[in-house]
Amino acid sequence: MEDKAYIRLEGITKTFGTVKANSNVSLSVKKGEIHALLGENGSGKSTLVNIMAGLYAPEAGTITIGGRERHFSSPGDAIAAGVGMVHQHFKLVEVMTAKENIILGRKEGLAVRGRELTEQIYQIGKKYGLIVNPDKKVYDMSVGEKQTVEILKMLYRGADILILDEPTAVLTPQETATLFGILRNMRAEGCAIIIITHKLNEVMEISDRVTVLRRGESVATLDTAATSPRELTELMVGRPMSLEIHRASYEGKRETLLRVKDLTAADRDGVHRLNHVSFHLHRGEILGVAGIAGSGQKELCEIIAGLDKATGGTVEYNGEMILGLSPREIIKKGVSMSFIPEDRLGMGLVAGMSIVDNVLLKSYRNNPGPFVDRKAGARLADKIIREFDISTPGKWHTVKDLSGGNIQKVLLGREIELHPQLLITAYPVRGLDIGASYNIYDTLNAQKEQGVAILFIGEDLDVLLALCDRIMVIHAGAVMDIVDAKTASKEEIGMLMLGHRPGEEAAV
Amino acid sequence: MKKMLAMLMAAMMVLALAACGGTGSSSSSQAASGSEAASGSEAASGSETASAGIPKEDLKIGFLYVGPVGDEGYSYAHDQGRKAMVEALGLDESQTLVVENVPETSDCEKTVRDLIDQGCNVIYATSFGHGEWVDIVAKDHPEVYFGHATGILTEDNLSTYMGRAYEARYLSGIVAGMNTKSGKIGYVAGVSIPEVVRGIDAFTLGVRSVNPEATVEVLWTNQWYAPADEKNAAQQLINKGCDLIAQHCDTTGPQIAAQEAGVLAIGYNASTLSAAPEAYLTAPLFHWDAYYTRDVQSIIDGTRPKGERFWGGLTTGMVSLDDLSDNCVEGTAEAVEEAKAKIESGELFVFTGPLKDNEGNEVVADGVKMTDDEMESMMWLVEGVIGNVAA
Amino acid sequence: MTVQIVKKAAVSRRRQTAYRVFAVLAALAATGLVMALAGYNPFVVYYKMIEGSTMTAYRFQETIHKAIPLITLSLGVAVAFKMKFWNIGGEGQFYLGAFGAALVAFQAPELPMWAMLPAMMLAGMLLGGLWALIPALLKAKFGASETLVTLMLNYIAIKWVTYLQYGPWKDPKASGFPKMPKFADAAVLPKVFGVHAGWIITLAAVVLVWILFSRSKLGYEIAVLGESEATARYAGMNTVRTMLIAVLLSGGLCGLAGMMQASAVERSLSDVLSGGMGFTAIITAWLARLNPPAIVGVCFFFAILLQGGSYLQTSMQIPSSVAAVIQGVVLFFVLASEFFIQYRIQISRGEKKEVA
Repeated sequence: MEDKAYIRLEGITKTFGTVKANSNVSLSVKKGEIHALLGENGSGKSTLVNIMAGLYAPEAGTITIGGRERHFSSPGDAIAAGVGMVHQHFKLVEVMTAKENIILGRKEGLAVRGRELTEQIYQIGKKYGLIVNPDKKVYDMSVGEKQTVEILKMLYRGADILILDEPTAVLTPQETATLFGILRNMRAEGCAIIIITHKLNEVMEISDRVTVLRRGESVATLDTAATSPRELTELMVGRPMSLEIHRASYEGKRETLLRVKDLTAADRDGVHRLNHVSFHLHRGEILGVAGIAGSGQKELCEIIAGLDKATGGTVEYNGEMILGLSPREIIKKGVSMSFIPEDRLGMGLVAGMSIVDNVLLKSYRNNPGPFVDRKAGARLADKIIREFDISTPGKWHTVKDLSGGNIQKVLLGREIELHPQLLITAYPVRGLDIGASYNIYDTLNAQKEQGVAILFIGEDLDVLLALCDRIMVIHAGAVMDIVDAKTASKEEIGMLMLGHRPGEEAAV
Repeated sequence: MKKMLAMLMAAMMVLALAACGGTGSSSSSQAASGSEAASGSEAASGSETASAGIPKEDLKIGFLYVGPVGDEGYSYAHDQGRKAMVEALGLDESQTLVVENVPETSDCEKTVRDLIDQGCNVIYATSFGHGEWVDIVAKDHPEVYFGHATGILTEDNLSTYMGRAYEARYLSGIVAGMNTKSGKIGYVAGVSIPEVVRGIDAFTLGVRSVNPEATVEVLWTNQWYAPADEKNAAQQLINKGCDLIAQHCDTTGPQIAAQEAGVLAIGYNASTLSAAPEAYLTAPLFHWDAYYTRDVQSIIDGTRPKGERFWGGLTTGMVSLDDLSDNCVEGTAEAVEEAKAKIESGELFVFTGPLKDNEGNEVVADGVKMTDDEMESMMWLVEGVIGNVAA
Repeated sequence: MTVQIVKKAAVSRRRQTAYRVFAVLAALAATGLVMALAGYNPFVVYYKMIEGSTMTAYRFQETIHKAIPLITLSLGVAVAFKMKFWNIGGEGQFYLGAFGAALVAFQAPELPMWAMLPAMMLAGMLLGGLWALIPALLKAKFGASETLVTLMLNYIAIKWVTYLQYGPWKDPKASGFPKMPKFADAAVLPKVFGVHAGWIITLAAVVLVWILFSRSKLGYEIAVLGESEATARYAGMNTVRTMLIAVLLSGGLCGLAGMMQASAVERSLSDVLSGGMGFTAIITAWLARLNPPAIVGVCFFFAILLQGGSYLQTSMQIPSSVAAVIQGVVLFFVLASEFFIQYRIQISRGEKKEVA
């Protein structure tokens, strides 16, 4: 069976400084196979695919494609050998059309025969079920469409080995289903597909085989049909662990802490970012927010935190209007907001600063005098590192050099250490591996038990359903419905996210 | 290997860059004397008579030029004077140190101190604006002899020296007056100080002595050494109808502009026929060696007068008019010779009344001769000049 | 054979330093080569530069004199750069500072020294700071690019001084020569250990800026703001206020440099007072990675190049532009090393042809 491997990596080793990112890793993928690559953050998945894509050169090991050994010294070499990579962050030029992006960088020159190319793209698209308007500008596209263009780009360049780095992280359930359909078509056409994902249910759904990486080593390759999420988790984490997210309960008084009424925000062009949003939130409650990316989550968070302006409506906190107060005054009242953007850093953390300095970001003013009390900061950093199990060489280590999960723990740890009454957290597990995500769910539950009101903006509907008390579904800045998480179904929420109310025609 | 190549490429670029800026620079390439040498300790410091003198072989003379010696103008003329003095007194080239491009700022003070640090016991600063800085250092270093060209401040150990350039300017004015056809003459002037104003006036008087209707239009560059600006100013004057350009600034830019426009030019400081062979008529020249040789000799002899203010005219050899080129009309040479003889004999004094300024006010009464003090602070333009003293 | 530029993984700090030191050495070697081609023995030239900038008390003092304004300007630039406020206007703020000092010195010439110098310092810092505040306000209000505005304000500042020099403040005693009168003795910074007292002020400024950056809340805010304005706002900082204070400080330090140069060195105001140091300071601040103690080191190195260069001119009769060339080449190499810290050039040949 191994004989049929189309791309085979053997004994791949790559070190960065003192860190062994890959150590003697082996992987083989056949034509007509979807192969999942599974592993926690820092397990070496990205390094491995970057080696396949020609971005890194391994120190040891061989890459064999179609029976011949290859040495890539650039992405161009990899593409020439048929390896196409779709990155998590799309490498598209926003102001160009799909067609222009697809031909970009091709050697044939820019004077392209437009109609011929459109026809070519159409043919490739038809073959695999990739539907995109070749003349649409990238900035007009949805995330799913952009991804389609990326895949088309790779196929147009003749890739028959396609690597997708966490392709579903940014997609709705419906878009994910579409993507999987495409991948199945490609498998049928004989492509070798490597997909990186965290989501075990997706691994189970789409892949034929799965290779698990742990701490830079390949620990097992299994037939998907013959394994279970539990076994995979164990291989990934290195120990057995529960996959249940439990819903904590709050015993205290049920008291409304946050009341948002008719909150409306428009951008400069008059487009409504938030459209008469109304909801309330109790102490000791987790209110989930579900919605396609860009449906108003960011605006909602920022307006409550005082970072953005509303054009109408009210925000009442503890019986007091807080709309229009400065961010600082709102922080002082006990409102914490943490928004993990797609690049994970952005707002909330200062990438180039140490953990200590980041931990101080909201509390550095608390001591009198003109100087920052770094001793207090160091104590706090120690505490957060300990309690949140952050792996770092030290508290003075620069945040941007930490792994993604640890970066998010620093952020969440700081916010929780501020002992907020209202905790707004958007995408706190974005890009985190299973172990780290569960730590964060536990942390949120612990806060809830203490009576903290939590507004949880999430991506993964399974998690929202398991963790939250209620789920508010938003679409294009408007609240579609607020459902009870104990009784709602994933499909129901998915439809709401797309803007369909129950009872309406469910036409897509 | 990869890095080597990259470094090599970078190095090549650097070489290319450096070649533009670095080489072809110092024209006076004396070797460094190496030893810090006698720091003038033998010179009488502050005593009533500067009697001891400095033995010839212990002399170390620093020269500060405001421009590069390659300006073919003012600094060049001083450097010619330095070379002639070295030759005449039998000094070694290494006994003179030259610093070019010394600005008229505190950098000048620093340069003078640097030169003393190098062991110089005689310092000549050649630009007017060097004066106050030289004066500051002169007070700190009574053991060092200072000379300042065109200056006004003196100390016991600081003399000033200049040439009565106005005499040569007057002669060049005669040349201009006889060679202009349009009667419109342009004059590119550097910085507005009495020396320059006096030159313009003497020139204009010379012009009008042979061509009473002619006018002299002045444009200021406000700099001594500004090749592009000077050329540009000349072009403006030519555009206004001037068919002859004179100058009091340090480059041949105006002469080149004249040549390009097919009009005539009078240079300054040095004989620059080769720069503009079809335009060049003549130029008032300085012969600074006349002073340098005399002054250094007096330092050797220990007879240097204190705080001397040397102002030498045609008779001392400090100034002259260059040989007339073939571009001059016939009769020019005769007119110049006649006036020159009169000046040398004392029969003709350039600034003799009646003189009117260019606003019509009588400034010098009929028959009155201006005094040296009056000429030293002369900041008005005579009748016939178009323009004013302020830039 | 193909040449490619490949991004490197993070390079350790020690290695980065090694790259930079190597770059400086390579620059010296490259310039040495040029000098050898021009007929000078580079070893002698470099030795002379060291000799001319350090080996006697006078020369060392002169080197310090060159370093003082450069350090203070670099500190000023660094304060703004820390915030990623690209203040290219150090030159103009320097002139405004010198103008402020001259304003006091000319308008109140009878002040005693104990009042005169602090008043000049205050006026210099204030005017330098306010001059820098203009682009900051334009940025806060209209989002105007501070790079462009600070750059253009340089020329206005210089022309303003030129105007004063040729016009209202021209020395009436200079018989028409366009220069300003000298300050009264009370307006000249006294010498301490043979170097004007500016060195004490400068060292104090180094310590203060170092404390500002490493210890103070304001410095912390500046650093956060420099990393991300969104984060600063998120943390509840008053970003506009922080920016204005930092810019005021930045311009104030540049103005202080101008005040010291006018008072101690020029003893007057002139339109060539800075000699372009306001621009050099951008380079030195950057090379020092905006770190105050490193600024002292880098500026001292540049001062050695400058003083050594002018010594070359007098001692070896090599034009002092050689020093400028060395500076330029050093800069070029260091910038190149920044590139090589982040990227490497990969050359591959042969086998890949068959792949394609």
